[in-house]
Amino acid sequence: MAQPTVEFDRSLLGKDFPAGSFTITKEQVLAYCRIIGETNPLYLDEQEARRRGHPALLAPPLMCPLFARDLDRPQVKLNFGRMRMHAGQALESFHPIYAGDTITASVHLADVYTKTGRSGTMVFIVWETVFVNQQGERVAVSRDSHMVRE
Amino acid sequence: MERYFEDVDLGDLIGPVERVATDAQVLDFCKVWGMAASNRFTSREVAQREGFPDAIVPGIMGMAFLAELVTRWSPSLELKKLDVIFRQLVPHNRLLKLHGVVTDKDEEMGLLEADVYLDLSDGDRMVTGKAVFSLPHREG
Repeated sequence: MAQPTVEFDRSLLGKDFPAGSFTITKEQVLAYCRIIGETNPLYLDEQEARRRGHPALLAPPLMCPLFARDLDRPQVKLNFGRMRMHAGQALESFHPIYAGDTITASVHLADVYTKTGRSGTMVFIVWETVFVNQQGERVAVSRDSHMVRE
Repeated sequence: MERYFEDVDLGDLIGPVERVATDAQVLDFCKVWGMAASNRFTSREVAQREGFPDAIVPGIMGMAFLAELVTRWSPSLELKKLDVIFRQLVPHNRLLKLHGVVTDKDEEMGLLEADVYLDLSDGDRMVTGKAVFSLPHREG
C-alpha cells in the first residue's frame, strides 16, 4: 500500500548542521549515576578511574545523547500530527568520555518516512548526531527516531 | 564480578535487575537532563495536554537503565553499541524488570551481542534493544 506523502523541509536531508556544544561535569556524572543506579567504580570514583589508566572520571556513554536534546536542530517544518514521542535510539561509542570533556555535536536529518497501521498514519523523523570531544576525536554517534501521529 | 570473553557463551543471561522510576527520580533525571520542571515526564497535566494518559518515564532514561544493565555485568565491559526501540510508554512508580541474553559471539572481532529488555513486572514488554560490547580476554 502506498504511504501518504507528508510535507517537510526536504532541503535538510543529508546535510550536516553544527548543533552546539556542552561540557560534561563531574557533578552531572555523579547525579546521573545516582539516579540510574550505576555501580561501576569507573563512573563513581575518580581515583579508581585514574588507577585503571583513565585521565579522569569516566562518563557513562549514554550521557552524550542525554544532552543532545538541548542542541540546536533545524526545524523540519513537518506539516503533520500533534502527538510526538521518542520511538527509538541507537548509540555507538568510539572513544571514552570523561568528566570535564567539552563535546561538540553536529546533526543531520537522516530520514523522514511514514507508516500506516490500525491506529492511522505515523511519521518517523530520524536524526543522526555526531559527537566530537575537545581533542577532535569522534566519541559517539547517536541516531534517534521520533514518531509523530495524528 | 569480572567476566572474560572466553567464558561467555550464547544463551548466557544478563540480569535480571529490578528498578522503579519514581516520580522523584524522573524529576531528578530531568534536572540533570536540563528539562524544565513541568513537562510530559514530570506533570500529569502536561502529559495529558500532549495526549498521553499520565506522566511518562523519558525514553532515554529507560535506555540508560538498559545500558547500566549491560555495563554492570562486568566492571571491564565496554559497551560499544546500544540500539533500542520504545514499544510502549513506561509508567512511573512501577516495578521494572531489566534483563538480557547473549545472542552472538564474534571471535574475530572480539565482540559480544545481546538482546536486552525492559519489562513491567507483569511481563508487558516496554523497551527492547540490542547491545554490542567487548570483554577482556583471559590471556591479555
